[in-house]
Amino acid sequence: MQSSQKRNPLKRILTVRGAGQVITVTIGLIVLCAVFALLNPNFTSQRNLNNLMRQIAPFLIVGIAQSYVLITGNIDLSIGSVLGMSCMISATLMTRGMDPWLASAITLISCLAVGILNGVLVINCKLPPFIATLGTMTIARGIAQIVNNNMNTDAIGDGAMAFRDFFYYGKFLGIYSTVYIAIVLWLVFNFILSKTRTGSHIYAVGSNLEAAKLSGVNISKVVIKAYMVSAFCSGVAGLITCATGGLGTMDAGLSYELYAVAASVIGGVSTLGGQGILLGTIVGASVWGVMQNGLSLAGAPVALRNIIIGVIVVISVLADVIVRSGKRPRRIRDAVAEAVAAKQ
Amino acid sequence: MKKVLAMVLCLMLVLSASSMALAASKVTLITMDLMDQHWVNVDKGCQDAVAELKTQGIDIEYKLDAPTSGKDDAAQIECINNAYANNADLILLASNGPDTQVATIDQLTKDGVKFIYVDSAANYPALQTLATNNTNAGQTAGEQLLAKLTANGVTEGKIGIVNVNAATTSTVQREAGFRKAFEGTKFEILETQYGEGNATKSQEIAANYITDGCVGIFGTNEGGTVGVGNAIKEAGGTVVGVGFDKSDAILGLIKDGSLLCTMAQDPYKMGYEGMKSAAKALAGETLAEQNVDTGVQVIDATNVQ
Amino acid sequence: MQEYLVELQGVSKSFPGVQALDHVQLNLQAGEVLALLGENGAGKSTLMKILSGIYPKDEGVTRVYGNAVENMTPQKARELGIAIIHQELNMCQHLTVAENIFLGREIVRGGRLARREMNAAAGEVLRHLNIDIDPETIVGDLQLSKQQMVEIAKALSTNAKVLIMDEPTSALTAKEINDLFTIIRKLRAEGHGIIYISHRLEELQYIADRVTILRDGQYITTMNYRDTSLREIISYMVGREIKEKFPRVDCEPGDVIFEVKNLNAGRLVRDINLSVRQGEIVGIAGLMGAGRTETTRAIFGVDPKVSGEIWLRGQHVNIRRPEDSIRAGIVLVPEDRKRDGLCVKLSIKDNIALPNLDILCNRLTVVNRRKKGTMTDQTVHDLRIKLPNADVDAASLSGGNQQKVVVGKWLARHSKMVLFDEPTRGIDVAAKVEIYNLMNELKRQGIGVLFVSSEMPEILGISDRIVVMCDGRITGELPIGEATQEKIMDLATRFESKINHATA
Repeated sequence: MQSSQKRNPLKRILTVRGAGQVITVTIGLIVLCAVFALLNPNFTSQRNLNNLMRQIAPFLIVGIAQSYVLITGNIDLSIGSVLGMSCMISATLMTRGMDPWLASAITLISCLAVGILNGVLVINCKLPPFIATLGTMTIARGIAQIVNNNMNTDAIGDGAMAFRDFFYYGKFLGIYSTVYIAIVLWLVFNFILSKTRTGSHIYAVGSNLEAAKLSGVNISKVVIKAYMVSAFCSGVAGLITCATGGLGTMDAGLSYELYAVAASVIGGVSTLGGQGILLGTIVGASVWGVMQNGLSLAGAPVALRNIIIGVIVVISVLADVIVRSGKRPRRIRDAVAEAVAAKQ
Repeated sequence: MKKVLAMVLCLMLVLSASSMALAASKVTLITMDLMDQHWVNVDKGCQDAVAELKTQGIDIEYKLDAPTSGKDDAAQIECINNAYANNADLILLASNGPDTQVATIDQLTKDGVKFIYVDSAANYPALQTLATNNTNAGQTAGEQLLAKLTANGVTEGKIGIVNVNAATTSTVQREAGFRKAFEGTKFEILETQYGEGNATKSQEIAANYITDGCVGIFGTNEGGTVGVGNAIKEAGGTVVGVGFDKSDAILGLIKDGSLLCTMAQDPYKMGYEGMKSAAKALAGETLAEQNVDTGVQVIDATNVQ
Repeated sequence: MQEYLVELQGVSKSFPGVQALDHVQLNLQAGEVLALLGENGAGKSTLMKILSGIYPKDEGVTRVYGNAVENMTPQKARELGIAIIHQELNMCQHLTVAENIFLGREIVRGGRLARREMNAAAGEVLRHLNIDIDPETIVGDLQLSKQQMVEIAKALSTNAKVLIMDEPTSALTAKEINDLFTIIRKLRAEGHGIIYISHRLEELQYIADRVTILRDGQYITTMNYRDTSLREIISYMVGREIKEKFPRVDCEPGDVIFEVKNLNAGRLVRDINLSVRQGEIVGIAGLMGAGRTETTRAIFGVDPKVSGEIWLRGQHVNIRRPEDSIRAGIVLVPEDRKRDGLCVKLSIKDNIALPNLDILCNRLTVVNRRKKGTMTDQTVHDLRIKLPNADVDAASLSGGNQQKVVVGKWLARHSKMVLFDEPTRGIDVAAKVEIYNLMNELKRQGIGVLFVSSEMPEILGISDRIVVMCDGRITGELPIGEATQEKIMDLATRFESKINHATA
């Protein structure tokens, strides 16, 4: 009966939670790239591809953040604000003369604190995640404003050149460093999600909280960990923003939590929890980045771009629903009805 | 497959096929956003200049780009990067902030891209800057307000300023000039508040000023001025308002007496002259003037159209 | 004497307001199937939850393998080898079979999940039970019966010696039940102990060795299955002495005023035919899940029906929504009065007025305050509702008074037929009597009364005629003169036979 060895590995991927959508959307992504390349050959130029990858990187990073939380069946609305908070804290510390790397470390720790707060509010205080993270979103944004007396900071200075190159301007083997950062983060968090016990628990909590609890999973720890990962990634994205502009801006990261949701959902992560893989988040973030970049290069009227992007997002998710409507896991109610019908 | 077709059709319907003209020089205008009429006028100036240059045999491929959702440093940097990837030869830039874009501009300049600043410069040397001398313009606005108040017999009281934010150089300079005009007078200028250039937010701030007993209010850009004018209109009374930039809404507020006057920049000139300078620079000439003051015109009830 | 796998002695547990278990005992030997029987509310689930550590007990001793265990938790229970398979399956639908089986005890090698090992181990367990499922299947893609088997496999993989199964066969087909029983017998042969809770009494003959019976939180008896009969079992399940006196009013039953014909609304309402005559109270008895509430909801129009006709006073009424029903004069006092019967945050006045706004307002739909006040006062007076004033929130009243408000709002519009669903649940004794009096009053006035109740004494005390439902069908009707608790329970457990005798 052990037929698993003979099974086609591709088929295995298709049956894993939410993976089918990844394939559909990847095809869509390729088509999108082809279209943009047709509209403007510069799209595929070395210069642009480099830029494109660097533009996708922050979306991928916040996408990972949101995916972790979505898979547990919750949501994190504070991602953008934590990004802004991280940008401001690191810049403020650096303009006061602190070593950039020490400033980054302190910044990331403060972001982790927000993550822990989110987790505690959601799982221990039992606040609905929408409300809880809405609250921390406002608090984090407030911290971003207060850290430098409600002003954007000064330039972080020439001492921070290494820092800026590491996070944004530097190149390694012809590819921007930001891309490497995003890839490393993806490798680490994808490993955790797919190959460790914590990852398995994250899926379980999102799939059936009660069942996980009754099976001895420490749901508190799991949810808090997920929110910590989210805050950490948002923090890194904030450091990238700081390095990009060379100073701290209070409204950095505005709306990024929603872009993060878009990247995750396009990539097949379900907002209901328990479903989706990080490979999909790469595709989702890429779709988002490609659209912004491609439309710009194709000379699309600026005002229309948002509409176009929205339409394409809807189409790609709709395509998934249509293609996979026959293969959704059955709900208990339907199964009972079928069982009864079979009896009669 | 249906989905793929739909997507392709969607794109085709909405986008105009971009011309793949070769050999023409590429100039991209990058503004701060596309909300204000201000930028629309800059764009128009550029377009007219391009048309005129064409009749003279100079072929320029012109593109416009801006962040899609309001003032956003990171997004504007990416617009610059995209223009670069699109092989722009020269970029006309209205820089969001004085410092954030510097590193990118530096990288690109070293790679041979030429820059001309319109409306707002960054702290990095470029071929030319065409902008309003904001400090002078701000001072003019202040002088206008002072004159009117004196004429009304008011010699002291509170003055409120509705600025955009603490970062945009242009508006910060206007405020500085404005304050200079009031030096030595008995008027007290309150702590500046920021409306992000959003008319509604600015209106709330102005309304608070009026309740607080201000006798005069200054709006430092288009959105702020509209907000100030609307607040004065709603409150009635004798508060005097002055502003910056020109738009249909602002002209209307001047006509019905809610605003005293506005400093109309000349964004059209910025675009037009900027594009002319661009053509010269691309042809290899050096540009004589480093800073071109495109000036302001005081528009009040006497000359409003 | 054989050592018991588990032994419970003197176990008591109370919840606010109710003594769920009172010095109950139970023991389970290795290699046997013990059927735990009792009516709804007898305490079976509570007892099992205490055994598996989900609830703490108030007093009593739990012994596992002869050793006393204090402070049982789900974790401890699992370690001791006690596994419970709930009626509501607890699987993570998005995970694979192997992942579910190992949930909470994943095998980890050097930080990574040892997937191949877990898949192999899961496959072992499944094969051992002759369950043909690939451990890499996603649980959500499996049929319910297969999911149940996975739960059993999960329990066994934790080396559970004691398996508690709560109503395992309710959603299974005949073949699946056979498969399940085969597994149970195999487990029994291997020395496991199984506690089997079910209302399907006639399935017990295929697997039960002993039966333990509880009633009203009390331990009644334990017998060898082959030494007893279904009749005896039923009589133990319900054989209480009915001490309470119920206010009964005798009326001459008149014409049929309400009829339900061929009502079908899903699995729990199948081919229902009933009638109510003038001056008659009809009670609907049955177990939980028999479809009684669903029937009242289908009549009232809350749930859509597939087919069926409602006739009131000889006229056919077309009911598609509650509105239609109310307009025709058929009203429902629902089971959960705080959620479905009242708007607890509104005042009494508003609650009473709510379904009667059409009577209270003028042609421009403006509500006439004076009429509203009069209606409220009349209702409060007629039903003797105790309240400080009519503007207090409905939430502040006692259960009994709340119930009166729920009924009162219908009476204010002179309804013709009232359906009650568990009318005296959660109400103190004195208030219960008032509700009974109310029902009698309606009967006297010629208004039809149909009521659903799970309390046997109440049904026998108030009804003139009793209809018994089981698993969506009406299994019998008893005039009050012939009705006994045993007969009712017998009819209430007449499930359709799913197993053919050939496989016994």
